[in-house]
Amino acid sequence: MVMTAPQPTTQRLPHSTPQISPQSVPQASQSEIGQLEPERDDAIAFEDVAVTYSTPGDDQRPVLSGIDLTIPRGQFIALVGRSGCGKTTLLNLVAGLVEPSEGAVTVLGQEPRAARRHLGFMLARDALMPWRDARRNVEYGLELRGIAKAERRAIADHWLEAVQLTHAQHLWPWQLSQGMRQRVALARTWALDPNVLLMDEPYASVDVNTRLALQTRFLDLWQSEEHRTVMFVTHDLSEAIALADRVVLLGGGRILDDVTVQIERPRDLGAINANPHYQQVYERLRGQLF
Amino acid sequence: MRTMDETLPSFTADQPWTRAGVSRSPRRLRWSRETLIVRGLQVLVGLALLGLWQLAASNRWPDPVLAKTPLQTWHYLVHSASSGELWSNTRATLTAVLIAWVLAGAAGVVAGVALALLPRAERVLTPYLDAANAMPRIALAPLFIVALGINTSAKVAMASTLVFFIILSGARAGVRSTDAEWLRLSAVLGAKKHQVFRKILLPVATPAIFAALRLGLIYSLLGVVGSELISARNGLGQLIAYDSSTFRMEGVYGILILLAVLAVVLNQGLGLLERRLLRWQPPADR
Repeated sequence: MVMTAPQPTTQRLPHSTPQISPQSVPQASQSEIGQLEPERDDAIAFEDVAVTYSTPGDDQRPVLSGIDLTIPRGQFIALVGRSGCGKTTLLNLVAGLVEPSEGAVTVLGQEPRAARRHLGFMLARDALMPWRDARRNVEYGLELRGIAKAERRAIADHWLEAVQLTHAQHLWPWQLSQGMRQRVALARTWALDPNVLLMDEPYASVDVNTRLALQTRFLDLWQSEEHRTVMFVTHDLSEAIALADRVVLLGGGRILDDVTVQIERPRDLGAINANPHYQQVYERLRGQLF
Repeated sequence: MRTMDETLPSFTADQPWTRAGVSRSPRRLRWSRETLIVRGLQVLVGLALLGLWQLAASNRWPDPVLAKTPLQTWHYLVHSASSGELWSNTRATLTAVLIAWVLAGAAGVVAGVALALLPRAERVLTPYLDAANAMPRIALAPLFIVALGINTSAKVAMASTLVFFIILSGARAGVRSTDAEWLRLSAVLGAKKHQVFRKILLPVATPAIFAALRLGLIYSLLGVVGSELISARNGLGQLIAYDSSTFRMEGVYGILILLAVLAVVLNQGLGLLERRLLRWQPPADR
């Protein structure tokens, strides 16, 4: 299967949403977020990576083995597989939360920990902090990076507007619906202007309609800027094919399949399952997944 | 392509406050009615207790020596207050209560947070802490009096031994309740240790610390009065001991009621501060 770069988007955002462009977004200066390595084609590279966990009885439990995977800049890659197949461990390797037992992982040409300043992270649970209102939750990562108050407030306001939550900026997390909470988490992730987005089943906890709306909003934002690489973990094969440029199927700690999704963008998520290529990819992966 | 706003559930339709049943003005109205009902019932319960007390005293139950009416007790309080005796002793007790609460509270927070962050130190110290906490404090009172003298320091030391462990347990439990996802997120976002402490651990632990501080304030009062009962130059506990030894039971009842009122006032005051500082919590958790 040939890998293809993501299609350039021509979609405009819905009329009611702000136009998102790098120029219009208040961003932290490069000196604050750290310098990127000189341009490389690969955002993330796994070279013969293995991860083994020690169990309490001193047994070694292999979680991942022989992982060779290269993710080009700007690609949206989805990782699918059954529970315990190592999807989240792959994500944790990129985040520098787990060290490989063998092999090497590089992120934007750097060690994962060194590249953290360029990462965004979205979790299955929104991980909003209940003692911060919506806006201050969006500001959290900016605070950690020492961005000045006025600047981070402007950035937070911008991204809250982008996820249509300006009216809810002063609400506490318990006052938000689950879908709104996920949008705050999305704004918090985007506020850091990450080059690599790590998403660990971010829509697992919302209902079907809200999920569709969130996915659409996410694709709108992602397509409006083409430089962000996305690594998206999900149990949901349909979601993976609908959103991603490429779907990697994991099983038993190994890569079982690696498929390029050749569906043009922008995509109509509400009708994408009628696309013949979608169905072809779905059948191919489903046969190995179940 | 259809836009999201045309085809998908609109985000702009979000009305979380009505969805959560917390619309501002109706909620205030409901709370006011609820507060009125609660306050009314509290007054009724108080009047019923006074009635029972009056009934028991009128029938000289359970013993003629103990049978003092609410009115006799009231007269004692008025007389004692007008002579200044009540205020000077109340001031002495409250001074010791607050000193013990602040000192032991601060030490308890520091120790509790430290133990939560240093699991090995906690494993080493836990048996000693459990043993110290299991000691009957009243048995330590003579020791403090001999070591520190019959003064405020002895009372403070006695109360501190109670308050310290309560606050320590609260702070430790609070820090331990930190959600692993917040730590995971913070690590990926590059949070430094001091940032994790200040921006995650302390806010997480605050509700549990506050709950412990409220309990600790009551135990500080109990500790100080207990110390005064054994030996003191002044204080409400010393007054109780004196009135009790002279069978002046209306005095004992009056001071016990005063102590109960003080405990309620202190607790309510701290509760107000807690609600102010923890306004981010859902009303049900406050």
